[in-house]
Amino acid sequence: MEAASVAQNLGQGAELAGKYLTFSLGKEDYGVGILSVREIIGVMEITAVPHTPSYIKGVINLRGKVIPVLDLRLKFSMNHKEYDERTCIIVVEVQGQTAPVQVGMVVDSVSEVLNIAAGEIEPPPSLGSSSETENILGMAKVKGEVKILLDVDRVVGEGLLQQFVSQ
Amino acid sequence: MAVGHKPLSDLLDEVALKILMIEPGDLSIVGELLDLIEKLLPGHAPANTPGVIQRMAVAFKGALEKLIMGELADSAENYDLLGQCVTEMQESSRKEGQPGEKIIEQFCANMKKIGFPMETAALLGTTGPVSTGMGKADDESLSEAECALAPPQIKPAQAQAPATAGSSQEALPDFLQDTDLLAGFIEEAFEHLESIEVNVLELEQSPDDQDIINNIFRPFHTIKGVSGFLNLKTINRLAHATENLLDDVRNGKRAMDSAVIDIVLTVGDALKSMVENIKDVLQNGPANYKDTDISGFLANITQLQEGGAGAPPPEPVSVPAPDLQPEVFESEEVETLASEEAQAVVSPSPAIARGAQAVASPRADTPASSAARPSADAAPKKIGASIKVDVEKLDALVNAVGELVIMQSLVRQNRLVSRIADPKLTRDFSQLTRITSELQRTAMSMRMVPIKQTFDKMIRLVRDLSKKSGKKVDLIMEGADTEIDRNMVDSIYDPLVHMMRNSVDHGISPPADREKVGKPETGTVFLRAYQKGGSMMIEIEDDGEGLNTGKIRKKAIERGLVGEFDNLSDFELNNLIFLPGFSTADKITDVSGRGVGMDVVKKAVEKLRGKVEVQSQSGKGSLFVIRLPLTLAIIDGIIVRVGSERYIIPTIAIQESMRPDRKNYSTVHGRGENLLVRGDLVPIIRLYEIFGVQSTYTDPCDAIVVVVENEGRRRALMVDELLGKEEVVIKNLGGIDVPGVAGGTILGDGRVGLILDLAGVIANKAD
Repeated sequence: MEAASVAQNLGQGAELAGKYLTFSLGKEDYGVGILSVREIIGVMEITAVPHTPSYIKGVINLRGKVIPVLDLRLKFSMNHKEYDERTCIIVVEVQGQTAPVQVGMVVDSVSEVLNIAAGEIEPPPSLGSSSETENILGMAKVKGEVKILLDVDRVVGEGLLQQFVSQ
Repeated sequence: MAVGHKPLSDLLDEVALKILMIEPGDLSIVGELLDLIEKLLPGHAPANTPGVIQRMAVAFKGALEKLIMGELADSAENYDLLGQCVTEMQESSRKEGQPGEKIIEQFCANMKKIGFPMETAALLGTTGPVSTGMGKADDESLSEAECALAPPQIKPAQAQAPATAGSSQEALPDFLQDTDLLAGFIEEAFEHLESIEVNVLELEQSPDDQDIINNIFRPFHTIKGVSGFLNLKTINRLAHATENLLDDVRNGKRAMDSAVIDIVLTVGDALKSMVENIKDVLQNGPANYKDTDISGFLANITQLQEGGAGAPPPEPVSVPAPDLQPEVFESEEVETLASEEAQAVVSPSPAIARGAQAVASPRADTPASSAARPSADAAPKKIGASIKVDVEKLDALVNAVGELVIMQSLVRQNRLVSRIADPKLTRDFSQLTRITSELQRTAMSMRMVPIKQTFDKMIRLVRDLSKKSGKKVDLIMEGADTEIDRNMVDSIYDPLVHMMRNSVDHGISPPADREKVGKPETGTVFLRAYQKGGSMMIEIEDDGEGLNTGKIRKKAIERGLVGEFDNLSDFELNNLIFLPGFSTADKITDVSGRGVGMDVVKKAVEKLRGKVEVQSQSGKGSLFVIRLPLTLAIIDGIIVRVGSERYIIPTIAIQESMRPDRKNYSTVHGRGENLLVRGDLVPIIRLYEIFGVQSTYTDPCDAIVVVVENEGRRRALMVDELLGKEEVVIKNLGGIDVPGVAGGTILGDGRVGLILDLAGVIANKAD
């Protein structure tokens, strides 16, 4: 039983190993798989869209393409922080219902791209409710710091791709 | 929960819509229905699908396969019963998989009437998986279920093989009826066959790759479907048999071995030569028609299937080479079409278009080698050459052109540039404008096709329906040239057929009855298309009996949809027929077809962000109006400011704008605010309120109101300021879909502005 779960964890770690773009929200560090990141842009004027959850800040014009932007702080029920010059929008691409869609995520600041090895990754902690952890792929311990590896498809998918407005 | 549930109800809606389309004798649609049902089977069904529905689907599939095999009558009654079964499945889905015994019993009773008896216990899942459950209950039904689940090809293949020569002779004049469709089919078929070849060769490398098997299966399926539709019986039968063989492989009933690969390749070649021959017939007349003997193939396939259950399949040598081989090689060199003149692909039929999507995978365009072969025929003029383009590339082009137009107007409006008084610059600018607008038109037209082809199919439908029912019906079509987004053509076809059928079946009475009430004995059905207010409108009007509003009201009260003393207009009452399950229980509304209600039409239209309404006068006729958005259209809009936000209101909906006079402003106790505009009371909608933004003005008499009209309803939208008029490109909001917002656009300063969807805004306020 124990051996099996350890083996599973190791397997999972191996699968998750790779390059991550790390960023911070408050005091926490997060990472997203580099392959889903399209670009990083400074914060720009966001057009609010009515009747959407508060964490959906609205839409922006990304070189002629309109893409939605969500605020990760609000998404994770953290306190709102005024946007400043370090605030960034990470544009990620996730698989939508029919085609890949691009979505912007507002974060406090972008740190660096880290190469995270399988051995550094641990499974997400159980925090009681599963909804808290199901966005998390795993926890990476790099140079004594903990990075929370996010499952972008879930984070974005939950907020946008499922039809959250059902009138 | 509701989210996870949606795909299932969508699937069931599709099934319901499909079953409406079935005519006895048209097996290709039954095949499509089978495909849909397969998505509901255990293992394929969307997550959260209640077990009972999966078991219902298994039974449904069994019955359907028996119909295809001819063991059950291919009759309208049976399809009606199947339709009721679908309704019961929908009902079960709405009740979250707890349908209660009544529905289960109804389902079983209907199945029994069709000739597919089953026990309620099996459905409820109390005796284990369905097939064994039925077995315990009834030995006979087990064997039936087994053979129902077995592929249906064996019998037809044997039964039809001797008849080949005779039936294809009589098929000859038949398939030449629709030369346009045929030309489209030929082109598609070649592409499909090429993709089959490439995929088969790939499969030899990795025989277990399910994706590749599916990629081979799908083109066969499409060819089967479309050829059936076009009455190309020989092709249809061969494709059908091969498809069944592949289906076995797909379901793991037999392995994909070299025997199967061989037969698939030779069948592909044979089909190619047959299609080649059809092309020849199309260009040079029916005298060139060659009959192809496919009995050898069918026998081979049957043999493979029978031997393939458990025993090792025969070695490739045991597959006798079909006599066609030499001919195939001759014709192979003429398989590519000249494509000097690139044209947008125009889909001739929904089936073909669906096929086009099926092969839109990157693999479909890989067989570059075959394109290099010399084309033997002298560029036929009749079959327009076309290039298939990835829709994404097209979208990118349209997007880029849209941006170009915006940038151009930005440059022109630049303060420094506009001060330059150089005649050459002015001339160059207008030349540039001409070029960009030409470019824009072309880019847009690539995605748009006239609705004519969809309409034309209605001619046949109405003719068939009127012949069958003994009614005299004239179909008058207007605006067939109206262009519609190519993607929408496919999706609008099914609901349109349903509504046309309603109008002819239920709206128009038999000639004698019509004469009695003083109407001409020939009924008239109008089918109109036109553009209005950034929307595509399709109207179906008949001069038949109309809806019986009184009965609808009674029914609605019975079902608790309206209170007994509710004051509803006839219009509102009539539109109750679009509610789910409304017309299913009792055929009171004259618009129930197969026990599947008009709600499937409504849902299909709403999926396109459209709307459907009915206006009807008892005794005089009904008018169904479908309103569809013109996706990707550039619309003319007025930009308004509300607080810090800017919104775009489609110009065509705007009647006037004004700063209201205090004396025209009134409130009705508890019913909101109104404005007297030229003698009419128009309700005021405070945009800032429904969009939740801070506005500059909160008193309507300080602000500006824009009077808009949408589907006969007038509203005064309260805004802070009018900023100007601009042509804007509608863009979707990248996954966000909210009521009241039709999309976004990039404004002159690069920010995104939201385009109002007036229907949504008005409905929003009404809630």
